[in-house]
Amino acid sequence: MDTVLYEFRTAIRTSNASLLASTITPAPPAHDPGRLYAILRSTNSYSIEADVRYGLMQNNREISLTKARSAAWLDVYIAYYKVVVVLLDAEEKTNQGKLLEADWNRVYEAWKELVTTLIKGFNAGHFEGWTTPCLYVAVRCLREFAIKADEANTRTKGAITFNSGLQDDVVGALDKNDKLEDAARVINRIFGLCISDRASLDESRKWGVYYITNMMFKTYFKLNSISLSKNILRSLNATASDLPNFALFPKSHQVTFNYYVGVVSFLDEDYTRAESHLAAAHRLCPAVPFAHKNRALILTYLIPCRLLTTHVLPTPSLLAPYPGLQQLFGPLSACVRRGDLAGFDAALVAGEADFVKRRIYLTLERGRDVAVRNLFRKVFLAGGFEPVKDGQGGEAERLRRTRIPLAEFAAAVRVGTRADAREGGAGEGGLEQDEVECMLANLIYKNLMKGYISRAHGMVVLSKAGAFPGTGV
Amino acid sequence: MNAFPAYTSVPARRTLATPQAAVRPSVRETAFVGSKSLQPPPKPQKGVFPHGVREYVSRAFAEENSVSGIEKSMIEEKLKEIINDASTHGIMNTLDWDNHPLPQHIIQQELVSSSPRHERSPWQETASLSLNLDATHNAFANATTSNKKRKSFETDPVQNDNGDESTPPWRKAAKKNGFEDRITFANQAAAERMEKRMRKFHGGKLDESSKLPATLEKRRQRFETGKAGHPSPFSPRDATPASDIPEGPVVGTCQDLEKGYLRLTEPPRPETVRPLPVLRKTLDLLKMKWKNENNYSYICDQFKSLRQDLTVQHIKNDFTVVAYEIHARIALEKGDLGEYNQCQTQLRALYKQKLGGHPAEFLAYRILYFIYTCSRTDMNDVLADLTPTDKTQPSVKHALEVRSSLALGNYHKFFQLYLDTPNMGAYIMDMFVVRERLAALATMCRAYKQDVKIRFLTEELGFESDQECVQFLCENGAPQQLFEEKDDGVRFLTAKVGSIFETAKAAAFR
Repeated sequence: MDTVLYEFRTAIRTSNASLLASTITPAPPAHDPGRLYAILRSTNSYSIEADVRYGLMQNNREISLTKARSAAWLDVYIAYYKVVVVLLDAEEKTNQGKLLEADWNRVYEAWKELVTTLIKGFNAGHFEGWTTPCLYVAVRCLREFAIKADEANTRTKGAITFNSGLQDDVVGALDKNDKLEDAARVINRIFGLCISDRASLDESRKWGVYYITNMMFKTYFKLNSISLSKNILRSLNATASDLPNFALFPKSHQVTFNYYVGVVSFLDEDYTRAESHLAAAHRLCPAVPFAHKNRALILTYLIPCRLLTTHVLPTPSLLAPYPGLQQLFGPLSACVRRGDLAGFDAALVAGEADFVKRRIYLTLERGRDVAVRNLFRKVFLAGGFEPVKDGQGGEAERLRRTRIPLAEFAAAVRVGTRADAREGGAGEGGLEQDEVECMLANLIYKNLMKGYISRAHGMVVLSKAGAFPGTGV
Repeated sequence: MNAFPAYTSVPARRTLATPQAAVRPSVRETAFVGSKSLQPPPKPQKGVFPHGVREYVSRAFAEENSVSGIEKSMIEEKLKEIINDASTHGIMNTLDWDNHPLPQHIIQQELVSSSPRHERSPWQETASLSLNLDATHNAFANATTSNKKRKSFETDPVQNDNGDESTPPWRKAAKKNGFEDRITFANQAAAERMEKRMRKFHGGKLDESSKLPATLEKRRQRFETGKAGHPSPFSPRDATPASDIPEGPVVGTCQDLEKGYLRLTEPPRPETVRPLPVLRKTLDLLKMKWKNENNYSYICDQFKSLRQDLTVQHIKNDFTVVAYEIHARIALEKGDLGEYNQCQTQLRALYKQKLGGHPAEFLAYRILYFIYTCSRTDMNDVLADLTPTDKTQPSVKHALEVRSSLALGNYHKFFQLYLDTPNMGAYIMDMFVVRERLAALATMCRAYKQDVKIRFLTEELGFESDQECVQFLCENGAPQQLFEEKDDGVRFLTAKVGSIFETAKAAAFR
């Protein structure tokens, strides 16, 4: 405990926030791997209070804390000691393979106690604004311990609770995440603690707002209640004018925040907004090895986003540094480019599990339109040109054939879906023709193709100028 | 209705029995199956002591376990008593003999019964220890059935009086002999809860007739349901709500087939709850009534009470699944989404318990329902949970194709699928077919110039007849002049539709 308190005094004296935060981190620092055990051995639950009090008072001259402040820190370190005791116990049991005995609930509750103590201290004004990073540690570990506790609970009790009280139905709750939900509530309090700080900006907890918000997002995503993220965004918007300029926040906060807002909009099908946030995150995220994973994550959503908004496919050079993404999007985008419908469907099926896990399946699926567009564009190009009439200029002004029989598109779809190979030539059955018309109608409706279908003549009449917008023809 | 006499003694017996049983329902069950089937008293079983018992006995007499001041004869006496007890209750094989307190320790505890904790246990009168032992022993020796044995406790003045059951026996410092001091290791709170619950169940109007087969059957069933899948009635979750909520399953005694639904605000009384055999008959009756009368509000009410009875009795088996499935289907048919969703949620959890039923059918409904609600998050979750086997099920396959056809705007395929929907999926599809027709019309009117035959629209949009198609178009704002009579039938002037269907579509999807 002495080392911790020594570092505490140093941190307070030098206003070193990261050092201070490290003294309440429930993991040993790299340079002192045995720290937690040392703490455990150095004292016991009976004398911990006296020990810490002594440690704080003894050298109070060098840091000159007020009585109230040092009492607040006293509570924090007593709580910290209690965490260490139960944490080491749970870790030992886990390491010994006694998974069922490791009591992560107790660890969670102990840590929550510490977090509550911190919140109380901040609320009472005992902790200064620069110590806000302590809250980061608090929130980060709260989430981790909650997840571990929930996992342990699921192991012991199973995922389904059955009702036993005065309920009408047999089953109580599915997918229990009691602790994490509880953690979300605590984090929300901390969010409030940061965003509502009235101190002047250079001494404000407002600088912690985005970090906490990001943790909040992360928790909501894990809880699968992503829609709750919007509440946070709403309260951020409401206080936007009081917050420091977004660009002044640490870059890591900015990138993560942009990423989450991007993904939330993405899942909301607001692809334009999603694209702008994801692009911003991508731009800010440094192209360095340690950020590799984050860049890949951002691209996971940015690529499908672009496919829908601007029909832009990832270039091989963009995907090259990320083998994972290459595997994910490589085959699919090649098929879109080629207009290979059968290949597209196969790639979608092959990657379904991965796509669904990342929640991009339903978006990528719509990329089929682009594939169809590319296929029909080939039909158009293959159709060649109208015969040159008299009085017209040279090669450059030749007109493409814009009246194309429906049958040609139907043939293209059969080639594209390899229908001939599959069904031994289904022929021009009325059904298939109708389905091709349906595809054409969709392209026209979605403005991927300009023109109209004339059923009476069995023709598609394409626009003379830019039949396929954005593709150069 | 005249009730079940021997129950009077049951509560007493159960509470006093090692309350450990409370957390081990299986023990409880065997215990009572044993007593109800009136197996011959302990004697015949004596020859076949399980290994654990033999170990226990040898430990009792082992030198290192001897306690000064307690004689071998006392230990013998006590041992006999313990083993007899275990045997009559059929817990011989289930009792944790390795951790069971040795007889000498039990006797010792009886001797030093002066701590306040012991006030709760009325039966350790030190002075009359040996006498007590004798008494119990005699009680056993004389007892021919377990019922009689229970009777031996009814001699207690407090318990004799059925009306006075509000005071648990251990609250009174009655002089009491017995061997239940083995409870030393037990959880008193659990025992109290158990007792409380028992009192609730029996409401104190029970009298002598427990040997009637019906009663026995009911009792058997009670313990079965208790076992049916509620591993620990005393899980911490249960401990939080108001303590007077009974933690275990209620056991119904009601014989009425029909019962209206009433939301519970207090623990259910057994006489208002129908046990499983009755509920089975109820379900048959309800099915018949639904077929003949088709009165939804009555049926829904009845089903809700049926579900409630299943819940309070903790019945989770194939019958539960059947009941929920039928209610879900009926609710679906009547478009009662609230009730349907409740059933669907329950079914999902029940299917996870592998209790049979039709998981594929209801998975398909779930997918179709999420198409209806346009909830992409939920849809993604469903897709994430699909197993390869699920995808091969015809109904699931159909639902997935419906989903993908709509995602791609393939109205042609969608309406073909609509006309060929398995099970009752069409009831869900009906809910979004109108808006999909409008969406398709909006697309078609943009793409087709001049006109299309009404016949074509009828086929593409899955209408039954041209007439129905025209009616739909008119109802959604297509004016008369857009229809044109020609030699080969009526045509619809798509080129002049403008934004009629676009607006209607936007409204339908809102």
